[in-house]
Amino acid sequence: MELFDNLLLGLSTALQWNNLIYCLIGVVIGTAIGVLPGIGPIPTVALLLPFTFGLEPASALIMLAGIFYGAQYGGSTTAILVNVPGETSSVVTCLDGHEMAKQGRAGPALAIAAISSFFAGTVATIVIAVLSLPLAALALKFTAVEYFSLLVLGLFAAVILAHGSVAKSLAMVFLGLLIGTVGIDVNSGIARMTFGVPALADGLDFVPVAMGMFGLAEIIANLERPEVRQVVSQKLRDLIPSRADLKAAFPAMLRGTFIGSALGVLPGGGAALPPFTAYALEKKVAKDPSRFGKGAIEGVAGPEAANNAGAQTSFIPLLTLGIPANALMALMIGALMMQGIQPGPQVMTEQPQLVWGVIASMWTGNLMLLIINLPLVGLWVSMLKIPYRLLFPAIVLFCCIGTYGISNSAFNVWLMLGCAVVGYFFIKVGVEPAPLLLGLVLGPQLEENFRRAMQLSDGDPSVFLTRPISAVLLGVVAVMLLAMLSPAVLKTRKQALAE
Amino acid sequence: MTGRRFDWPDLLFGVFLIAVAAGTFAATWRLAGGTAADMGPGYMPRAIALVLLGFGLFFAGRGLVRAHAGIERVQLRPILGIGVSVGVFALLIESAGLAAASFAAIVIAAVASRESRFFEVILFGLFVTAGAVLLFVKALALPVAIWPW
Repeated sequence: MELFDNLLLGLSTALQWNNLIYCLIGVVIGTAIGVLPGIGPIPTVALLLPFTFGLEPASALIMLAGIFYGAQYGGSTTAILVNVPGETSSVVTCLDGHEMAKQGRAGPALAIAAISSFFAGTVATIVIAVLSLPLAALALKFTAVEYFSLLVLGLFAAVILAHGSVAKSLAMVFLGLLIGTVGIDVNSGIARMTFGVPALADGLDFVPVAMGMFGLAEIIANLERPEVRQVVSQKLRDLIPSRADLKAAFPAMLRGTFIGSALGVLPGGGAALPPFTAYALEKKVAKDPSRFGKGAIEGVAGPEAANNAGAQTSFIPLLTLGIPANALMALMIGALMMQGIQPGPQVMTEQPQLVWGVIASMWTGNLMLLIINLPLVGLWVSMLKIPYRLLFPAIVLFCCIGTYGISNSAFNVWLMLGCAVVGYFFIKVGVEPAPLLLGLVLGPQLEENFRRAMQLSDGDPSVFLTRPISAVLLGVVAVMLLAMLSPAVLKTRKQALAE
Repeated sequence: MTGRRFDWPDLLFGVFLIAVAAGTFAATWRLAGGTAADMGPGYMPRAIALVLLGFGLFFAGRGLVRAHAGIERVQLRPILGIGVSVGVFALLIESAGLAAASFAAIVIAAVASRESRFFEVILFGLFVTAGAVLLFVKALALPVAIWPW
């Protein structure tokens, strides 16, 4: 079986000593930032990117991926114990998880959350392995025309399924695409919009942009709100859930895993949408929906499983097609490019040990998370005692050093400062910055494929509609856009993304 | 900024997009556009800028028509504190070395919060600076001078 060969190849990469250590570093950092509110995985991954340059590509991706799914675990710990979602993906865990903690059942809640996450992570790893091969095989048939349409579909779907106003997010995608054209034009060698700055000749680096807009702007906005003190009063007695708990949680875990895996593959899915959907489903199938919000264990198991499964399967479009499902995956593409690997369907065949190593490392990483989260939960909770007034200057400094470290240029630090100001403006006018990052990372590929397609067709844009695969992809975009205009869909989307 | 006559978020975002589009046209007007079959360097930037202009006009127009939305008041202290901190770091890092730049960045950033306490910040700044030097220069081998000399 080719599937098992591939998984074995992946395991042999993931189980190498140094990769195990990078995986551990990744999940520990991930758990830490998941626990700490005010710093998310995006600025953290951006911060660490420059330092992965010297690593093997597989080690670099294994570590960065560990940060992403580690943050999901950490986020749920604080959600349950102190009613503070460390990440957006654990917002729903607060509802029933914290309620359980208030009833003195914090231990079982934490254990169920961790077990659900581990179970979902294991299943999602297999889902990735099964789905990757056919998708990559399909993608290898793509020419510039199909690839352009696929990129368009990816960008639109990411925007429609994510938070916020669709029109504003689309505008942000185009803004990102525009910034992506800065630098020397590959085809003609002429500098575009560099304003005579030599540092811009290679284009805008996305690390300072990501750190400015997601890291610093977020800090500035946080400082405007008064600080809320966290009180951890829970004593953790027994962690082991009872047999009845497990029995109630297991079906929810299965459903959550399924929802998470399905939604995670969709562009824009990632880690935010699945838990909300899973919670809504649990409430619907429950015999007594009124228990929810009062400490129902299914309300913890379902969303936790969904969020972890979603976080992992959102790697599928990235690994097979080279298309990021969300802003974090866009950073992963950046990590690949820094390693000199052009993301796309060919990565799967050219770098099998990289792709399968990353997939297999998710399973080893989940196992590590189970161990470092359950017995050591007290340690993570004590991290919450660090006050924000000390935390944020340190984050600011690390952003500065990290940005400077990309190419040892103070210019990038100034660029980050500019992006922080613009990002603050975006927060003030209520616009999500994530689509901009997607546009920025995908912009050069989009332009390249568009130009190549137009050259092939002699400037005739109808080529995108006469080729069958491309026509189907663009048709999906059209259907999505039309659906967004219908009031009924608009209303359900609002409800689904509310809270 | 709390005037309720316009939808301020929409209006400002629209104006921002129009400004970006105008800036792009100004910066690329000398680049050759070429044809669709053989695009010049100016083709894509101007095409995207045109779309942005459309979005900008739409949001600005909607912002003028729709009322009842203000913007939360802008507080100067956080944005100035963080901004100056990053700026000082950028100025100091190449001339004064990592140690001085880090310490200055921490102390100035702390000013952004009302809750910072003087001695705590100084101590914490020294501690984090030492940590940053050890982590980035010693452990991660970032090629940067630690001291100005």
